[in-house]
Amino acid sequence: MKSDDWRWPEAIKSPGIFSLNHPKNITAKRDGFLLHTHMKWVQFSCLHMDVRTDIDKPKISISDEPDTLYKHLSVLVKGHDRAVLDSYEYFAVLAAKELGISIKKVHEPPRKIERLTLLKSVHIFKKHRVQYEMRTYYRCLELQHLTGSTADVYLEYIQRNLPEGVAMEVTKTRLEQLPEHIKEPLWEMVGKEEKASKA
Amino acid sequence: MAAPMRRVARPRPWALRAFATVSSPASDPQVANTLKTENTKTSKSGKNRKQIPNPRTTKMTVGQDWMSVYPSSAPFKPSAVPLPIRMGYPVEKGVPMAKEGNLELLKIPNFLHLTPVAIKNHCAALKDFCTDWPSALDSDEKCEKHFPIEIETANYVSAGPSLYNPKSRVVTLKVKLSKLNLDDHAKKKFIKLVGERYCKNTDLLTITTDRCPLQRQNYDYAMYLLTVLYHESWKTEEWEKKMTEADMEEYIWENSRSEKNVLKTLLQIKASEKTSAVTKEELLGSEEVENYKKSVVALKNAGDTENNLSQYKEAVKKLLNLI
Repeated sequence: MKSDDWRWPEAIKSPGIFSLNHPKNITAKRDGFLLHTHMKWVQFSCLHMDVRTDIDKPKISISDEPDTLYKHLSVLVKGHDRAVLDSYEYFAVLAAKELGISIKKVHEPPRKIERLTLLKSVHIFKKHRVQYEMRTYYRCLELQHLTGSTADVYLEYIQRNLPEGVAMEVTKTRLEQLPEHIKEPLWEMVGKEEKASKA
Repeated sequence: MAAPMRRVARPRPWALRAFATVSSPASDPQVANTLKTENTKTSKSGKNRKQIPNPRTTKMTVGQDWMSVYPSSAPFKPSAVPLPIRMGYPVEKGVPMAKEGNLELLKIPNFLHLTPVAIKNHCAALKDFCTDWPSALDSDEKCEKHFPIEIETANYVSAGPSLYNPKSRVVTLKVKLSKLNLDDHAKKKFIKLVGERYCKNTDLLTITTDRCPLQRQNYDYAMYLLTVLYHESWKTEEWEKKMTEADMEEYIWENSRSEKNVLKTLLQIKASEKTSAVTKEELLGSEEVENYKKSVVALKNAGDTENNLSQYKEAVKKLLNLI
């Protein structure tokens, strides 16, 4: 199983290159210009182009414990705006394809509208009311045949880029083998042990 | 070549502030002209003119690297997005508002940091951390054969006063009884113990646990339940031997009243006809009795269908030699 804290990969446990005071990250300002302090001298065609050449790549660690297997992973996103969910679906589907995850189905469950009717005025005027509604749109993405590391990576990526005002529900179906103590009934063994102790 | 104005070849970068000369557009032709000398955007004219730089969109080329403009989630910046977007409800005989100073464009979430190119780059970097699905487990049957237990869990992500959703505690365990090592008596006892959680049509046992506060604890409890049920169903208690006909879930013909009645009737018939004494085993083994047995078992277990009733009729006719 791959190291599951890819947020803080082992090579970069200390702030190091990401701290604010690291010499590479200080850009001096003078008279409105930004002086670049990176190793490479970049052409000033576009002032804001950063080129970090010697950033340390996060190191991958492989452990001996077996990876969990997910037969089916269902990602349901809920939001108030259908256009936002459309864009998010495009992003999630493309990310799944790029990472090599098989997509079973992408569908849109029907929306739910919750309406309430309130009095318009603070005091009296019962005949004059105002109505509000809260719309929740859904989008469901069903994936299948994922390993634990792939699922963790994909879900973390998806969730970090979840837009504001959108909620997500993830349902995982995990595959497991029969535990050791269910293979044989216990009473046979206990009977044999008793006989052995008596004999 | 590096600018000849730098006297020291980068000894320590943060000290550059003190030593390096400033490269201005006038001195160094490579530096872009960012300051507008003829200002159309001054806050005040005259002495207090503020030098506002040109918007970034004017310096963008077509083949630029968009990932450096929007590397991560950021609000919509009209000066950094080179698209002529208009948003808003127009006034009468007007057009929707332009992007400068448009609150509507700021309010909605934008996906400018997630262009297809950006997604591909991110995934290329993430691909190293992913593992492949084992190719031997491509169909459902193979998954079931090697991994009979399925555990369903749910996780929730939302913004609110609390991060925790109480529904994430629930753990559902599904297993097919045919995969467990159970003999006949154990299987029947298991089904009786489990009750509604077993579905006969799909042979699926579903255990849903909710009583513990953590998902991990609920999973452990579900596995514990499965273990206990398995071992208890193999045990035979003293009082199980007193099981009556009403307790049994399926009808067994051997040693039942129907069998005894048939034998008594047939023996009486044979005795009245005064033929040679036929033993019980021969009677039981004869074809008519077999047919009768099958029809009675079908009626009791499956219920009263037309087929079953007609079979019973035929069997009785043959047995009693009626036409």
